[in-house]
Amino acid sequence: MSFLRAGLAAGPSSRLIQARLASVGAHSMLARRMLSHTSRLQAQAPKHSEVHHPVDHLAMPVKVRSPPLDASFPPDTKVGDEIDPYKGGPSAIEKAVHLFFFTEILRGMWIVIEQFFRPPYTIMYPFEKGPLSPRFRGEHALRRYPSGEERCIACKLCEAICPAQAITIESEARLDGSRRTTRYDIDMTKCIYCGFCQEACPVDAIVETQNQEFSTETREELLYNKEKLLANGDRAEAEIAANLHADHVYR
Amino acid sequence: MVSLLRTIRSMRRVGLREWWHQMQYIGDAKSGQFIGKDQFGNRYFENLNPEEEIPALLGRHRWIDFAQHDFNATQVPPEWHAWLSHIRKDPPTEDRVMQNLSPPWKAPWVENLTGTRGAFKTYNTTKPKYEAWEPKVSARGGP
Repeated sequence: MSFLRAGLAAGPSSRLIQARLASVGAHSMLARRMLSHTSRLQAQAPKHSEVHHPVDHLAMPVKVRSPPLDASFPPDTKVGDEIDPYKGGPSAIEKAVHLFFFTEILRGMWIVIEQFFRPPYTIMYPFEKGPLSPRFRGEHALRRYPSGEERCIACKLCEAICPAQAITIESEARLDGSRRTTRYDIDMTKCIYCGFCQEACPVDAIVETQNQEFSTETREELLYNKEKLLANGDRAEAEIAANLHADHVYR
Repeated sequence: MVSLLRTIRSMRRVGLREWWHQMQYIGDAKSGQFIGKDQFGNRYFENLNPEEEIPALLGRHRWIDFAQHDFNATQVPPEWHAWLSHIRKDPPTEDRVMQNLSPPWKAPWVENLTGTRGAFKTYNTTKPKYEAWEPKVSARGGP
């Protein structure tokens, strides 16, 4: 089982890559050109070229790593200087052993067995839920001041910024002279939950609550009007206010 | 066989009856500290031991046992929803922020009533801008 332990420790492929990287690092100066990578035209180039090369006056006086244009081929390498990419890697027998004894499959099955004895990861919705952010954008709500007065002043900034044009607002002056909405409709089937409306709101009236479980059976139940939005806010005000409080340092 | 030891451990802790109840509803044997009970009778639990329950980033360490047989995710009131969704650290019984920000005019929570007679049906909140024509025939004056 020694081969299995060795394979488990590092793995044949990783060791091969390490050996290859090490050899490239050591022989980077010699690895300029190999015969197999050289085109045939250069391979037949004469040893001392008599072609006149124009002088490049813009050439920078730096030492260039690449071989000069009139370099002779083959470069001054000796026999035995060629790089063996398989040097230091596993031998053919070792690879054959790993192949025929299914060691990679055994290692994969060992990981499966390990997971088998660990506590399961599956979240059992709706008994357990994944973490949500206090900035999560779910169902909309219209908020009230702590006195119970509704916040919305019908400035229509949310209606203007809504990219899906899901909000419709109509306003009138109330008997006490303050301007309030008479219609605040949100088509939740149009809404893309971008959160621009709650960012645009100057009085924090329209917010997106953390409630994401408002699915309906019919489409018309999602055409919210002002009463529905205010009711959402009245029910969830404690959670909304706590989330805004948790986030107030960043706003 | 899925972590058999964990199942046996939870069963010994919570008792056979509660374990059977958990297997019928949650579908997994869990044991932990009882955190609280909301106004509907739902019970909330927590187990902060990372060896027993997968901790925060996945979120298996807080769970709810619904009071109703026909359970529904919207039966959780918003204060406990914030705790169950890991938005708030403390349960609403101990969360001073949420208690102080809870207004006196807070409306009672209603679960999602879609598919029932209590489902929301939208209506117009303004006076209609035009009215249908109602023909009025004046009486023909005869001689």
